[in-house]
Amino acid sequence: MSSASARRAVCTSWRSRRSDVAESYEFLDVVDASPEAMYELFEERGWGDGLPLVPPTSARVDAMLEGCGGDPDEVLAVLPPRFGKATRRMVAVNAALAGCKPEYMPVLVTATRALGEKKLNLRGVNATTHPVAPLLIVHGEIAERAGYNSGLGAFGPGNRANATTGRALRLILLHVAGAVPGPGDASTQGGPAKYAYCVAENTAASPWGSFHRSAGIDAASAVTVHCGEAPHNFHDMESDHPSRILDKCASTMATLGQNNATIAQGEYFVALGPEHAATCASAGWSRRDVSSYLFQMARLPARVFRAQFDLRAWYPWMHAVADDELLPMTAEVDHIKVFVCGGAGKHSSVVPSWGMTSSVTLPIE
Amino acid sequence: MDQIYAPDGPLAPPPITLATSPTVLAGLRIGVLDNLKPNAKLLMQRAAEQIAMRTGATVALVTDKGPGYNSATPCSDAIFDKLDKEVDLVITGSAD
Repeated sequence: MSSASARRAVCTSWRSRRSDVAESYEFLDVVDASPEAMYELFEERGWGDGLPLVPPTSARVDAMLEGCGGDPDEVLAVLPPRFGKATRRMVAVNAALAGCKPEYMPVLVTATRALGEKKLNLRGVNATTHPVAPLLIVHGEIAERAGYNSGLGAFGPGNRANATTGRALRLILLHVAGAVPGPGDASTQGGPAKYAYCVAENTAASPWGSFHRSAGIDAASAVTVHCGEAPHNFHDMESDHPSRILDKCASTMATLGQNNATIAQGEYFVALGPEHAATCASAGWSRRDVSSYLFQMARLPARVFRAQFDLRAWYPWMHAVADDELLPMTAEVDHIKVFVCGGAGKHSSVVPSWGMTSSVTLPIE
Repeated sequence: MDQIYAPDGPLAPPPITLATSPTVLAGLRIGVLDNLKPNAKLLMQRAAEQIAMRTGATVALVTDKGPGYNSATPCSDAIFDKLDKEVDLVITGSAD
């Protein structure tokens, strides 16, 4: 379908400000709502992520809003660099576009609130040349109820909840935040995690209970947003002791190409496969023990950092460490967050941070 | 005919507005705020010197964002106040 045909798909574009609605929204009257025409229309307007989209009709958006309740025009967050108002309605519009079910809406609403938290630094996340993407981790009972995959193949593909929720969050960033490659997203190479990046915690297989309760959130369900790289895999198929498994994790963490190498506030999320987690727990190790061990082992000599980087966003004490002493890849044990996900097998992964951002975990309302 | 939402939605008021740029630089004081990206200080200081030489302005202050601040954060309040008092315009924000 040509661009001219796409233009013919739209009869009018108009702005509605109903007396019962606080915000003003733009609508398009569409002559041809076929998938092909919609695909062309959105491409023509610079919308979308490059994949086919579901037309966000009023009926579909209303159905999405029923999935979360609340005031449809409540502003959940104002998202830079465009400074678009992320209302529940706009979340619903982008959820419809992505192919979500209404039952995913509570996850998306909470994740959108998280994007607006100052410590997440969304402006920097969107502006950087780094290939950072918000990883959305779903915790608690909603994961099972709404059908999120926390088991085999949790990072994808093949599960609608994970795929469309992650995609919807990206569409919110593209449309509402304006994080469009070029004017709104300077990522040098982009990355596959910028299409959809959502996973559920495998609480049933976690020997330490749910991540969010360990973080002090007393709620049935919660969402974490961590702005990081795509997962870095590590595997150990033979060890029956935590240290040999976690040494490989530490090796994966202690590399010079990550932003964590120069930014001491950077976090790591360690997604332990259930079998690796079970090995750690059977030796009596707690979630905190795993973080502490990785903090101790994911290190390089200070002289290596100094030789490689002129600019180091270190904590003050790190500058005093002698060249031959080992420096941790991040300044605090608490920066290393451990949760369980995946199915059978001896693989786990590390999600390094962009660096100048902190993760946010919020209870689902 | 079907009706669909545009997916970008309404805008919030901009959190800040930029000051109007001066039309004449002669006699003004230029500041350089190194945003701590590699080579940013070198690039921006040279640019400031060239601008000063060609326009009759002066390079009055070259600074960075302050201890503990980095390229993804605003500068410290102390540095901001210093720039506000000591210069008329600031060059900043070199990228990678």
